[in-house]
Amino acid sequence: MTIDIDQVAAKSAPPEFPVTIGWTQAAMAISSVLALNTPVHLRMDIEMHGALLIDFRHHAFSWSTPLEYFPVDAVHTHLETVPTSPDAPPYFELPGQDLDGLLWVMGLNAFGDGAAFWLSPNERYRLIRWPNLTRHSHNMSHVKMIAVLGNANASTAELAAFAGVEEPEAQRLINALSLMGILSRSSEAPAATMAPQTAAAKRQSLFGRLRKRLGR
Amino acid sequence: MAEHVILFAGPMGAGKTTAIESLSEIEVVRTEANNSERHIVDKATTTVALDYGEILIGAQEKVRLYGIPGQQRFDFMWTILKKRAKGMVLLVNSDAPDPIGEMTFFLEEFRELYDRGGVVVGITRSDVMPGPALAEFSDALERTNPGLLIPVFTVDPREADQMQNVLLALIANIEMRAAFGMLATTGAS
Amino acid sequence: MKPAVVDAASTLLAEMKDAASSLTYAALLTDDGFDVARLPGQTDGARFAGMASSMQALGDAVTHELKIGTSEYIIIASGRGHVVQLRVPGKELVLSALFDNDATVGHALATARSFAQKMADLLK
Repeated sequence: MTIDIDQVAAKSAPPEFPVTIGWTQAAMAISSVLALNTPVHLRMDIEMHGALLIDFRHHAFSWSTPLEYFPVDAVHTHLETVPTSPDAPPYFELPGQDLDGLLWVMGLNAFGDGAAFWLSPNERYRLIRWPNLTRHSHNMSHVKMIAVLGNANASTAELAAFAGVEEPEAQRLINALSLMGILSRSSEAPAATMAPQTAAAKRQSLFGRLRKRLGR
Repeated sequence: MAEHVILFAGPMGAGKTTAIESLSEIEVVRTEANNSERHIVDKATTTVALDYGEILIGAQEKVRLYGIPGQQRFDFMWTILKKRAKGMVLLVNSDAPDPIGEMTFFLEEFRELYDRGGVVVGITRSDVMPGPALAEFSDALERTNPGLLIPVFTVDPREADQMQNVLLALIANIEMRAAFGMLATTGAS
Repeated sequence: MKPAVVDAASTLLAEMKDAASSLTYAALLTDDGFDVARLPGQTDGARFAGMASSMQALGDAVTHELKIGTSEYIIIASGRGHVVQLRVPGKELVLSALFDNDATVGHALATARSFAQKMADLLK
């Protein structure tokens, strides 16, 4: 008996799904689940990288690709939610990896230079909690921006100005912190003012000098 | 010579001496004595006066790193050392009997350093024994000191790049607090 | 700290008081600042032991920094007395003693040295 390979392949193909699914849609799905606290797990199949599983209850994910090699342009072939309940077993063997790590790198990369879709224009942001920077690959611009957001309400444009970075960089950070759930948003918060002498001396801050000295 | 003093505080065994050694460009001045209470904390030595290290930023500027002795019977040294500092790295070991209690205690003892500048909390040895989750430390900070936005990082005090990250985050935070008028006393240099 | 050591230390300090009338306070303490024995006095003995151990360690740090060997003794001179402090030879113990100004510094130091050595001999 001959086996028609094409027939077999066609039968076991996953259900109809746009192959252009990528991190944007993944971030949107995650954002919804987190916002609505839906009792689900999330599963993504990613071309050449295997399945990425998220267990929200345990704030963990499971993936064979290390985050240092996060594939920004990865093609997702499948995305689905898996219903769960408080007494159900974990989605995978715990502890898995801390979900914050994935949210950080996904948030930085999921929307290009634009705003995450759940954000509105004309709002200002404030940090709720510092991320655990030791665990997330970050640069000194991130540190500066997070320090601003910890001490002032700022829109993306204002953040960029206060921290002395380009706006797209500020936007990416806002997206990441927002996806991680550690950024508060307000359309009523007034503008913050940076002390004038410090604004002028921005380039001569101790932070700047020390980072240069340490080769960062 | 412009000097910036950073204090390293926290309980015995948290890794203060180690952290300063990772950061210091000079040989660290240590004041260690043999621990006569091995049955209480299993450490061979303990700091009895202070640790001292330096980072030289230029010919006219340096960061001075002071480590306190962690045991309370040396709290007269805490009084002496806290006067000079503009900020503090609070290290707590994850495998202490009550890490959150220790963090709260030292934050209270050194509260003026938060008011004058800033604090970063570093949880050490979390690879050795998990201890409370990081979120529990943040939650405890929020409960005992609402509105304080203190960074909490896991950190290995033996790793220079991690300690540098902690120090840079502390200084960024101190400078931004000053820039946005959040400090209790302005003009802290 | 073994009771035998504490007893020996207490006895020794009592003898020291008999030998030197200008001695106002004395304590034997561990390197890491615990009080082993002390003469009765107004001071908080536990606190003083911590401070004396810090002083000892800082003295060692200074001699190490200046590359002049080890610290042999430390003297704090004040208007109303001298604190003389030195290690018990070969032991992780420090003798710290306060003499009033009836004694010269030299005499105070000689007394302290003599009793530090006696303590070392007792513990052999």
